[in-house]
Amino acid sequence: MYAGGDKSALAYERSACPMDYFAKLRAANTTKTEEFPGLVVLSNRSDVEGALRDWETFTSAFGGINGQDEPLIPLNVDPPEHVKYRRLLDPYFAPKKMASLQPAVDKHTNDLIDQFIDKGACDFSEDVAVPLPCSTFLSLFGLPLSEFDQFIKWKDYLLRAEAFTSSSEEADVLRRQTAVEVCTLMATEAYARRAAPKDDLITYLVESEIDGRKLTDSEIVRTCLLFFTAGLDTVTVSLECIFAYLIAHPEARKMLAEEPGSEINLVEELLRSETPVQMVSREATHDLVLPNGESVKAGDKVMIAIASANLDPNGLEGADTIDVRRGDMRNFAFGGGPHRCLGSNLARMELRTVVRRWHDRIPEYSLAPGEKVIWNSSVLRGVDHLPLVWA
Amino acid sequence: MKLRIDAELCEGHGRCWDLLPELVDADDHGHGFLIDIHASVPPELEQKAREAVRACPERAVTIE
Repeated sequence: MYAGGDKSALAYERSACPMDYFAKLRAANTTKTEEFPGLVVLSNRSDVEGALRDWETFTSAFGGINGQDEPLIPLNVDPPEHVKYRRLLDPYFAPKKMASLQPAVDKHTNDLIDQFIDKGACDFSEDVAVPLPCSTFLSLFGLPLSEFDQFIKWKDYLLRAEAFTSSSEEADVLRRQTAVEVCTLMATEAYARRAAPKDDLITYLVESEIDGRKLTDSEIVRTCLLFFTAGLDTVTVSLECIFAYLIAHPEARKMLAEEPGSEINLVEELLRSETPVQMVSREATHDLVLPNGESVKAGDKVMIAIASANLDPNGLEGADTIDVRRGDMRNFAFGGGPHRCLGSNLARMELRTVVRRWHDRIPEYSLAPGEKVIWNSSVLRGVDHLPLVWA
Repeated sequence: MKLRIDAELCEGHGRCWDLLPELVDADDHGHGFLIDIHASVPPELEQKAREAVRACPERAVTIE
């Protein structure tokens, strides 16, 4: 058992000091932790790499997430069905397609910065990290910006229902109600696109075929519901992790301000070393014994700690240090194996665009006086507020 | 030196074409493919080719 203080202290340490937390977890050489009782936590590089690829042992094919009993698409579908959905969806998120979306993201970024640049202060989380992926999402789905506030509310209800309710039962009800609302909107939009197609993702889904048939309404809404939760908070917390690093590292800010293009390596290195999405979930399909001798039973919930693997120097020298100038190091910030993040090219484009545009316009800035960076303790590792000031 | 991309292992992380656009392009699925499968890696790109090998999460990129 990996223990140390109470559960919430451990959660905070994982979020605030992942390098220390995961080094201790790997050194303990166990999958049993006080923080995640009853779950199997895989933390060393080779176990993580193996589990991500071995979808037959560590399945993603289970429902019951984000207030939806049915499997989300393509996340909760394993090969061979998974391949059919990925063949359909990958091209829509391919690099060239994302490059064509970049001008819209650039404009959204500039519009956000316009709103506060003259004030010399902003809350980076509330004013950039939360709204930017939401505007991108609305552009991608061909939905009006007037949906913005509604979307933010739905996203928070789905991903953080506990924060708005007083019991886990109430949280479950809120998640389910919200999922129904999101799915109703998506089904309504899909219906409208059949009559009047547009150049957007919903139209693409409505017109797509697998096995010679059109996607059903259920398939379309389960895809949209996944994108809704996968595409918003992940980019938000990634931006928060990057800027929390930058306020503590003046030489990295200087590099970004002076060297256009340096954001590419910086974003890669921080995706690896900060790993905003710390863990991904799987379920064991059969009994097995892990290399450390611990047993896993069929049906056990497994957490694959990609954040830990990314920092594990065993198998990749230098992984326990951070160097924003060095090139890529093999990492699993976007997972790996067949379920590798569908939106990775979109996420990279958004992160690079925001980091570039911000430093073009606000090259030097700092945490507001008297403020502290308070991590959220979630496995989607972020900060709810990041008050910045500049001259 | 020649670069190889194992299409069976590739899951489309896209590190190879991002790092080495001179030799690798992305298909419509974001999977990397060699622009010229017969070409050797020019000496000035050998270091970048090694980086592409080191960066591939699926170990699909190799040099021989």
